[in-house]
Amino acid sequence: MRLIAVTTISLALLTCFVAASAALAAVACDLNDADRDVPRLFPNSTSFSSIYVSIEKRGGAPLLKRIENRLGTSYLPLYAPIDVPYTLYEIYRGKEKVGYIHGVNQKGQFGGIQLFMAQDLNGRIKTFYIQKITGASAGKFRDPKFTRKFVGLSLKDFDAYDPVTGRGTGKIAEITNPAPEMETDFYGVLRGLKKNLILMDEFIYSREHGKP
Amino acid sequence: MITPFQIAYKNLLRKKVRTLLTLVGIMLSTWVLVSLFGFNRGYEKALNRDIDNMGYQLMVMAKGCPYEAATMMLQGGKGLRYMEQSMVNDISREPEVDKITPILMQAFFDPNKGESGGIAGYFGVDPASYPAMKPFFRFRSGGWFHDESAAEVVMGYEAAELEQRAVGDLTLVPEKNVRLKVVGILERTGTQDDGTIFVPLKTLQRIAGTSKITTIGISVKKDADMARLENKLYQLKDVQVVSFSQVKQTIMKLIATARVMVLSIALIAVLIAMVGVVNTVLMSVLERVQEIGILKTMGAMPGDIFRLVWTETLILCVGGGIAGIGFALLFARVTDILVRRILPYAPSGGLVAIDGRLALLTLATIVTVGLLSGLYPAWKAGRVRPLDSIRREG
Repeated sequence: MRLIAVTTISLALLTCFVAASAALAAVACDLNDADRDVPRLFPNSTSFSSIYVSIEKRGGAPLLKRIENRLGTSYLPLYAPIDVPYTLYEIYRGKEKVGYIHGVNQKGQFGGIQLFMAQDLNGRIKTFYIQKITGASAGKFRDPKFTRKFVGLSLKDFDAYDPVTGRGTGKIAEITNPAPEMETDFYGVLRGLKKNLILMDEFIYSREHGKP
Repeated sequence: MITPFQIAYKNLLRKKVRTLLTLVGIMLSTWVLVSLFGFNRGYEKALNRDIDNMGYQLMVMAKGCPYEAATMMLQGGKGLRYMEQSMVNDISREPEVDKITPILMQAFFDPNKGESGGIAGYFGVDPASYPAMKPFFRFRSGGWFHDESAAEVVMGYEAAELEQRAVGDLTLVPEKNVRLKVVGILERTGTQDDGTIFVPLKTLQRIAGTSKITTIGISVKKDADMARLENKLYQLKDVQVVSFSQVKQTIMKLIATARVMVLSIALIAVLIAMVGVVNTVLMSVLERVQEIGILKTMGAMPGDIFRLVWTETLILCVGGGIAGIGFALLFARVTDILVRRILPYAPSGGLVAIDGRLALLTLATIVTVGLLSGLYPAWKAGRVRPLDSIRREG
């Protein structure tokens, strides 16, 4: 009887350890369940492949400096070290590549915010998804009524808007905060989105269009 | 003057591809063998380290708790079983107990985690007794709680990274919407503590609306009779006692099957490699029968021929063995990753521990088995009759 108890307890502890290590493995910004999430974020896609890119491998210190300059170093920190591998999902319809999904971590008031966007081959947002956000009204940010407002936007839209000061014009300035009591997180979402768009531009779009 | 070693070496070079293939065979079997030996030692060492890092050797929990703890982490189930905190005082009176600490594990549902929500787990610990159980904890920034019921948290390294928290930042307990201030972030420990969020026990009890606990961690005095203490704890009502030495034994038993399977594969690999050695050396002997005959007519004794052929086996085994050990050392990290994928539970830290002694032991094993395999070809070469061999058509 005691042997059975010890065995079952050991198995239960093993399960706990495995679950804990699985949770730990998700420190980088990955989709929790890519097989389920990709078709949801990129309707009509038939398959995807995950590639891993890091600033270190794509251009090292000069690229890091360029990204930080574009982000505005002191206001919009990258947080992640240069060697952090970013998971980039390449999306296919049949054999044809139709877009990308990429996520970033952004600091929120009460915890990390995980922001994902699906983009077409021109860098336009098809779907915007907040995988994780903490706060009493956090659900309002994940509500499709809010996330749909980002569909069709691209990095260009941030030219006329500064997500650090909250000043500017254009489509992004027109997006209202769905939870005024969580202002830090609202700007965190916008900053994270800009960061995500800049990273994707450096990792993919600038390269595909022949820029350095 | 040319030595038997040089002759043997030159003989092997005559058929480079065959020699290379034999070397590769020996190298692969050595690689598997040394990695397996290294895994046997490394796994136990890593498991011991994980268990030592728990800080206590015995854990008392309410019956059913481990199952529900697992469910809590995997599926977000609730309804943990609790026990009275007064039990801590009862147990601490036992003479075998060195240190004791009450723990409350609590999970809250966070609807804004993942597509359909997830679980946020908190570990309520007693600021007076828990830090003493974990003397190896080092703070990356900040420190432990300021008082026993402070609205504060200490975060493991990975938890802080995931939540993007720094000392001074706030966190929010989902479901309850209680704000807690981050006062400490731990250095990486390589254990499950890295992903843990620690809260003062009284604070977590207040948030969860309970005065009870889920677990008691017990550190036993040196030289105390742990089995006796365990038996006494088993008499307590509605509790389960988890001894980490028993857990370790059970885990080792669980992976024993995998170890036996891998050992069998390694033995088969060694056998195949040795058949390769026999084949290579025997072929080489049969191809050189006339040459051996001439050597004998020139005065070489059967023992000289035997030694010459045996030296070829020795060169093959030593060369292949050293290369295999080199590869095992070089790819120890890769082996580690593969093993982790296969095993249901792998402790933190390196699982494959190869040191000089183990490398030498493996090399000695390979060379011994190899030399035994080389006995027959060497014996056959030594028995070649000079006249018969010279008469043979080449």
